[in-house]
Amino acid sequence: MLDLRLTRAARPAVQLRRLLVAAASAGTGFLLLSCLGYALGHPGTAGAGALRLAWCLVPVAATVHFAVAVARTDPGARPRPGLSALGLGPARLMAVSALGTALATTLGSLLALALFLHLRGDLAGVPFDGAGASFLAVGRPLPAAAALTLLAVVPGVATATVAVALRPRDPKPATRPQRRYLSFVGPAGRAPAGDRAAAGAPAGGGTPSAPDSATDLAAPTPDRDPADGRDTPAGLPWAVALLAAGLTAQAYAGRTPPPPAPTFTTFAPAAVPFLLGWLLTAAGVVLAAPGLTHLCGRLLQCARPGALRLLAGRVLMTEAARIGRPLGVLWAVAAGYATTTLYAAPARAFGPLSILGALVVTGCAFATLLTVAVETRQCRAETTAALLRLGAPATVLRGAAALRALALLAFFTPLTLAIAALAALPLTR
Amino acid sequence: MEAPPDNDVLWARSLHFTHPDGSPGLAGVSLAVREGEVLAVSGPRGSGKTTLLRCLSGLVPVREGEVWFNSTPVHTLGPTHRERLRRDRFCWIGPEPALVPELNAWENAALPLMLRGTSRRRAKATALEWLERLDVGEAARKRPHRLRQSERQRVSIARALAPAPTVLFADEPTAPLHRADRGHVLRTLTSAARSHGITVVLATADPETAAAADRTVTLLDGRPVRTVHLPEIPDAGGRAACSISV
Repeated sequence: MLDLRLTRAARPAVQLRRLLVAAASAGTGFLLLSCLGYALGHPGTAGAGALRLAWCLVPVAATVHFAVAVARTDPGARPRPGLSALGLGPARLMAVSALGTALATTLGSLLALALFLHLRGDLAGVPFDGAGASFLAVGRPLPAAAALTLLAVVPGVATATVAVALRPRDPKPATRPQRRYLSFVGPAGRAPAGDRAAAGAPAGGGTPSAPDSATDLAAPTPDRDPADGRDTPAGLPWAVALLAAGLTAQAYAGRTPPPPAPTFTTFAPAAVPFLLGWLLTAAGVVLAAPGLTHLCGRLLQCARPGALRLLAGRVLMTEAARIGRPLGVLWAVAAGYATTTLYAAPARAFGPLSILGALVVTGCAFATLLTVAVETRQCRAETTAALLRLGAPATVLRGAAALRALALLAFFTPLTLAIAALAALPLTR
Repeated sequence: MEAPPDNDVLWARSLHFTHPDGSPGLAGVSLAVREGEVLAVSGPRGSGKTTLLRCLSGLVPVREGEVWFNSTPVHTLGPTHRERLRRDRFCWIGPEPALVPELNAWENAALPLMLRGTSRRRAKATALEWLERLDVGEAARKRPHRLRQSERQRVSIARALAPAPTVLFADEPTAPLHRADRGHVLRTLTSAARSHGITVVLATADPETAAAADRTVTLLDGRPVRTVHLPEIPDAGGRAACSISV
C-alpha cells in the first residue's frame, strides 16, 4: 500500500513520465498482438510471422530502456537517508520502483489489449469496415494464453530490468585505473601534480601575474588535473572498431547487386550480412556516444574558456557517461532513419504497423534522452543552488545548458549524416 | 526613518522573522556591524543565527524590521536588486564547501570573478594568489573530490574572498572540521579579512570560534541576550555518565 501511496502522491511531471511509459508499453503491446493476429490470419507462412515477431524486439528494447530511465528519475524512489530506519531502505525503494514500472507497463499492455479487441470487433462491431483485417485476424478466436504471454513480455522484462538496474549496491571501494579513450588526449607525458606545483612554487609569492605565467609555462596542459580521467568513459576504441566492422559488413553485403530490402515480411538470405552489419554499426554508435560526448565537452571548454564555456564544457564532460548512452541510442535511431531515407531505391509505402513501430522507437529514444536530462538536472540541483547563492545570474546557467545542447547537436548531426551516407552507399551504388 | 551611523556598514533594527511554515525565527534583533570588524553571532543550535545571516545578506526578504547596508535599505529592495547586491558586495561561506565538482580548485575560486566579467587571466591570477595565501596553493589544480574537507573549505573561503567583498557572511564555516583544522581555517579567514578590511559576520555555536572575533552577539531563541543562562541539565536518572570508548 505504501508503494501505491508513494506512486499516487507524485507531481504532474512525474505522472506524465509514467503515462509516457504506459503509452510506449501500449504501442509495443499492440505491435506484439498484431504479430499474433498476422500469424493467426496466415497459418501457412510461419517464417514471416516469426520475422515480424523478431522485428518487435526493437520497440521492446526501446520501451524497456525508457522505463528504466524513468524509474531512475522517479523522485519517489530517491534514497532517503532519514527514512531508512523506518524500513524505506534501498531494497524497499527498489521494490517501489519496480512496482511503479510494473503498474505503468501493465496499464499500457491492458490498453493495447483493449484497443486490439476493439479493432477486431470483439467488443463492439468491427470499426473502419475491417480495414486492418490482415493483421487483426478478424473472425478467428484469439488464443488467450498466447495474447497474455505476449502482453506480459514488456511488463516482465521492464520490471526485471528496473529491479536489476536499481538493486542496492555498496559504493565501490577503490577505483581501478581507467584506460583513456584516446591516448593523445590522455595524461601521457604530463608531470604529476606535485611536480607541477613545485615548478610553479618559486614564483608563487610574487606579483599577481607572475604565478600565472610561470604555471602556464611550466604546465603544458594547465586546465586538467591527473584525476579527471576518473569520469572519462572508456571504450571509444572498441566502439570505433565495431562501427568500422559494421560499415564494412554492409559494404561487403552490397558488393553483389543490391539485395532486396529486408522488410517486415520478406527476408532474403542475401540481406543477412547487411542486417548484421547494421546491428554492429548500431552497437558501435551506442558505445561510441559517451566518449564522443566527453570529447565534445572537452572541445567546448578548451582554449581559455570564460565562465560560460567552462561550466558548459565541464558539465558535459562529467555527465558524458550518463547522457551518452541515450544519446547514442537516439543517434543510432536517427542514423537508421537517415539510411532508409537515403536508400529509397525500391520505394515502398510504410504500413500502419511500421509507422507505429517507428513512432514507438523514436518516441522512446527521444523521451529517454529528455528523462536523462531531467535526472542530470536533479543530480546537479545542489551545485546549481550553490552557484545561484554565489550570485551567478540565471542567464549564465541557462546559457550553459543551451550551449551544451547546441554543441551536441552540432557535433552529432554531421556524424549521423555521415554514417547514414556510408551505410547507404553500397546499396545505392 | 533614521540613517545609520557612518562607521556602521551593516545595520539591523528590530528585525522579526517568521519561517514560511510559521515557526518563529527572529524576535526583535537589533545590531550594528562596524566597518572592518569581525562580528561573531553565537548561540546554541536553533537560536536563529543562520536566519539572521540570511536576513542580513538579503537571501530572504525582510518583512518586519529594517536592514541597512551602507545607507541602502535592503528591506525595501526587490529580489533582483538583492541578487545584484549579494553578487557585488556580499559573499557567503556555508558549513558545507559547496564547490562546483566539475571545476578544479582555482577555477572554483575564480568563478565569482569570471561571472562578474573579469578577464580569465586576471581572475586566475587573483584566485591563485588567494589559494596560495590560504595554504591550498598546492591543490590549485585538483578537483574538489580529491581534496580533504578542510582544504575544500579553504578553497571556498578563497572563492568568497577573491572578489573582495564588502561583507563576508560565514555561517558556521568550521562546523564539519576537526579542531586542528578548525583553528587553521578560522585563523586564515580572520587574518585575511582583517588584512583586507573585509567585514565578517561569523555565525558559530562554538565559544572557541567566537573568541577569534572582535565582538560577539549572543542569540537565544531569536533574541539577542547579554548572558546565556540555560537551565541546568538534570542528572541522568542516577545512571553513570555514558562513556564512549574508541
